[in-house]
Amino acid sequence: MLESIVHVCLAGLSGGMFIWLVASGLTLIFGVLGVLNFAHGSFYMLGAYLCFSVLRALGQNFWWGLLLGPLVVAAVGYLVERFFLRRVYGLELPYQLLLTFAFVLLFDDLVKILWGAGSLGAPGAPGLTDSVPILGRQFPVYNLFVIAVGPLVAVGLWALLEKTWAGRIIRASSSDREMASALGVKVPALFTAVFVFGSWLGALGGGLAVPYLGLLTPGMGEQVIIEAFVVAVIGGLGSLKGAFLGALLIGLLSAFGTRFLPAFDMFLTFILMAGVLLWRPQGFFGEKR
Amino acid sequence: MAKKGMSRRQFMKAGLLTAAAAALGPGVLKPTGLWAAETKIKGPVKVGYQTVMSGTLAGYGEFHKMGAQMAVEEINAAGGIGGVKLEMELRDSTLKAPDAIQNARYFVDSWGADFLAGVDSSGQALALAPVMAELDRVLMVTHAATEKLTEEHVFKNGVRQVFRMVTPTYQDGYAAAIVAKDLPIKTWATISPKYEYGFTCWEMFKSTLAALRPDVTFTAESWAPFGTTDFRSHINTIMDAKPEGLYSVEWAGELITMVKQGQQAGLFKQVKEVMLPVGAAMDVLEGLGQELPDNIWVSGRYYFLYPTNQANNDWVGRFHKRWQHYPAYVSEAAYSTMYAFKKAVEAAGSKDTKAVIGALEGMSLDTPAGTRVFRKEDHQAMYDVPWGLTKSDPKYPFKIMGKQVVVPALACFARPPFDGPASKPPFKS
Amino acid sequence: MQNRQAYLAAAALLVGLALLGLWGERFLLYLAMRVMILAIFALGFDLLFGRTGLLSFGHGAFYAGGAYGTALCYLHLSKDPLLCLLAGLLLATALALIVGFFCVRHTEIYFAMLTLAFGMMIFSLVWNLREITGGDDGLVGISRQAINLGLAKLPLRKEGQFYFLVLSCFGLVLYAVHRIRSSPFGLILAGIRENHLRAEFAGANIKNYRLAAFVISGFLAGLAGGLGVLLESNAAPFAAHWSHSSEPVLVSLIGGLNTLAGPLVGSFVFIVLKEVVMRVTPYWMLWFGVVLLVILLGFRGGVVGTLAQALGRGAKEARS
Repeated sequence: MLESIVHVCLAGLSGGMFIWLVASGLTLIFGVLGVLNFAHGSFYMLGAYLCFSVLRALGQNFWWGLLLGPLVVAAVGYLVERFFLRRVYGLELPYQLLLTFAFVLLFDDLVKILWGAGSLGAPGAPGLTDSVPILGRQFPVYNLFVIAVGPLVAVGLWALLEKTWAGRIIRASSSDREMASALGVKVPALFTAVFVFGSWLGALGGGLAVPYLGLLTPGMGEQVIIEAFVVAVIGGLGSLKGAFLGALLIGLLSAFGTRFLPAFDMFLTFILMAGVLLWRPQGFFGEKR
Repeated sequence: MAKKGMSRRQFMKAGLLTAAAAALGPGVLKPTGLWAAETKIKGPVKVGYQTVMSGTLAGYGEFHKMGAQMAVEEINAAGGIGGVKLEMELRDSTLKAPDAIQNARYFVDSWGADFLAGVDSSGQALALAPVMAELDRVLMVTHAATEKLTEEHVFKNGVRQVFRMVTPTYQDGYAAAIVAKDLPIKTWATISPKYEYGFTCWEMFKSTLAALRPDVTFTAESWAPFGTTDFRSHINTIMDAKPEGLYSVEWAGELITMVKQGQQAGLFKQVKEVMLPVGAAMDVLEGLGQELPDNIWVSGRYYFLYPTNQANNDWVGRFHKRWQHYPAYVSEAAYSTMYAFKKAVEAAGSKDTKAVIGALEGMSLDTPAGTRVFRKEDHQAMYDVPWGLTKSDPKYPFKIMGKQVVVPALACFARPPFDGPASKPPFKS
Repeated sequence: MQNRQAYLAAAALLVGLALLGLWGERFLLYLAMRVMILAIFALGFDLLFGRTGLLSFGHGAFYAGGAYGTALCYLHLSKDPLLCLLAGLLLATALALIVGFFCVRHTEIYFAMLTLAFGMMIFSLVWNLREITGGDDGLVGISRQAINLGLAKLPLRKEGQFYFLVLSCFGLVLYAVHRIRSSPFGLILAGIRENHLRAEFAGANIKNYRLAAFVISGFLAGLAGGLGVLLESNAAPFAAHWSHSSEPVLVSLIGGLNTLAGPLVGSFVFIVLKEVVMRVTPYWMLWFGVVLLVILLGFRGGVVGTLAQALGRGAKEARS
């Protein structure tokens, strides 16, 4: 029983860290731009497929894929923001949703055209393909790696936002756009930069998912986007700390629920989401906007 | 401001009317029922094929398409059906019932389809059955496996327009139990999809095996929702229950993921016997490659190396040459569907639905999967698919079946009342 | 003047649809019914979204409520289509009342996320209560029986017959929504959208008005769901899924917010466009996405124009 608890816990942690990697970019973009980006799941998917293509081109080396794939997606993010999203900032929230939704449809078919409709089997990450015994049961090293990467990304984001000049500008702009603009911040350029960075984060999650899932399918983005929404809401829309803890909570809840509560279902996840929204609409750590 | 509003509304109204007229145009000109009633085959034979072409299961649509298109090319190269051309149009079914119905209605009423085929999800197949009765066209189901389609809609409700080319849940549940009864283990558990297909197959497996082997017990169930990507908690559930056997009707990408994660966790070292009713599907074999463990039981709705006769070998060779892929079970079903239509139309001397139904009922058809017979009562194609133990083979980049066991379709499809008391295993309905 | 124009346009539309019902071929009737049912869904939705400014991502749940209520009544209680529709409406309205009670406490993105959560809860229930709902198979085999009028029976089995029931519902809903929009209640809803503080000062209990708009839109979603079941002869769980809830959002945005014509045009474009694109290319999602972008950016004047026009008309209606 103990080994089961430990292993379910590990499964929950690695699952949670995955959602965090996807939700971080979503949260950052919402926090600064105020846009709920439906296409974030598509960036995740594109990140995975591009990582796969690069690794296949460069001698099955996953690490090259992880380095280069998300950079290409960041460039795609630039195009989306610069030529499309920017033109609807003046409109209401629903129009921004519609725009990102159009890109979801577009990217889904684009992936089918470029990579085929069938699922693609992906290799593991060199050096991390083994499993290690923990309390007599095997656990993949790669998942331990993911459990470590999640907090690293969190610390990196924290340092970026709290300790650097760019971070101060981002924080200033997200709390008061007009004030930042009056102080000479080029808000459009900042928005572009944040969107590109957020896309890169989503694609990084996708790239890391390649050895984790071992399988790429068109439509894989839609599977994560709703989970990322839930996490972002529970943590507090726009709060990175909240998204991190929300992801941990959801990851562990679904792992333990699946193992120890046969009736467990996404029903409970959504009850939790509704409960948080009713009790504390700004989430655990969000500020009331 | 008001002026602008008016002109805009008039513009929209005009747009509505033009578009409606445009949509009406081709509909008015199209040849409909009038000609179909004649006994001689006239015009091309048109088959409307729908399958999933978007989302995570879009790969299945590709496999359907390969088989269907190849059959159309071959049939037309050999002179068509009774001298007329065979035409096919393909549509994305999206796995949602309203889309399946819209596709079927488009095919029949607008495009002028003589026959329909395809359909992946059980929900879609069940929703389509009454529509087929209304449209009065034959639908050949090539993937959806729910036994309710043939038992309830065809047999009980008398929807005679629906046929099924592939094995239903009987192969996944009953045949598996008949194989499992000879295995020297006493406890079984499952990780299966948390929807009707998973529940039904496990129930069929349990009831039949329990009756055949009273000493067997079923110790754990873990139900994975549609779209599960992390099976680790499910795998821990099974490993805690320590069953000797694992039965799983996970399929497609989710089965690939489950097997990979089970390997990582050492699941297949702990359980003695594993049965994967859809494990021999080509996407799974190719997707897992050498990661599929040896010596586990797999089956499917067609296995590309069975039967080992010239006809099947030739077909697999032609298929591989044409597509650089080995055929999936849906490819074979789609391919054979076109030939079923050909044979039935030629036998009936007409594409008239009633005549073709008459020809199809009880018809025997030689296909790559062996000889199929369409059972008259429920329109289910009867043919044998083997169960086999996986092993490596230098000729293929993936695992194939070594030792095989064939449970004859007659033994496991023979649910009362179709074949009376001849049905051997004590089925519970 | 403007009003008369609008009435004339609506009358022309209904007469045109009636003529289509008499002479149109079967697939055209089917598509027209799909458009009208979606339009009923979207007309109600726009009262909440366009008029009151509340974006719901969970209205698929009420559509499903109407669908499953209708189907369950047919399978267990009575085969009378009107009675079945009534059962569907009851279930949808009850659901909307319960869900709405919680959701109207918030606005904007929080409201959207709450409705998403409740919608997905209901989807999960529909998927899992398989004894009642049939799980992922849904409820099948609902055929259209004749409406019993005592002396005579009104058959519905054929498309050409059922079409006129759908058309009647569509006409009634169009009229009802028009009346609601121009009623004092409708003006308060618009007031809530424009500036909810001012409406509060005017003495209106905002939450109750929001809830009323929510329930009306849920009721109409249920009507669409019930008619959908009679059209398709089955109820399927994906009706409650968020992807279905996004349909009226798309329809409203394509057609234009807070107008009577918007949902109609949007529904027409949504169904017919998809049907046309699917005939031309297997990559229908790609082209659908491109068209959405074009509507949003290329016709940007159109979208903005619609908004401006809506504001102008709102003010005009306030005066009349």
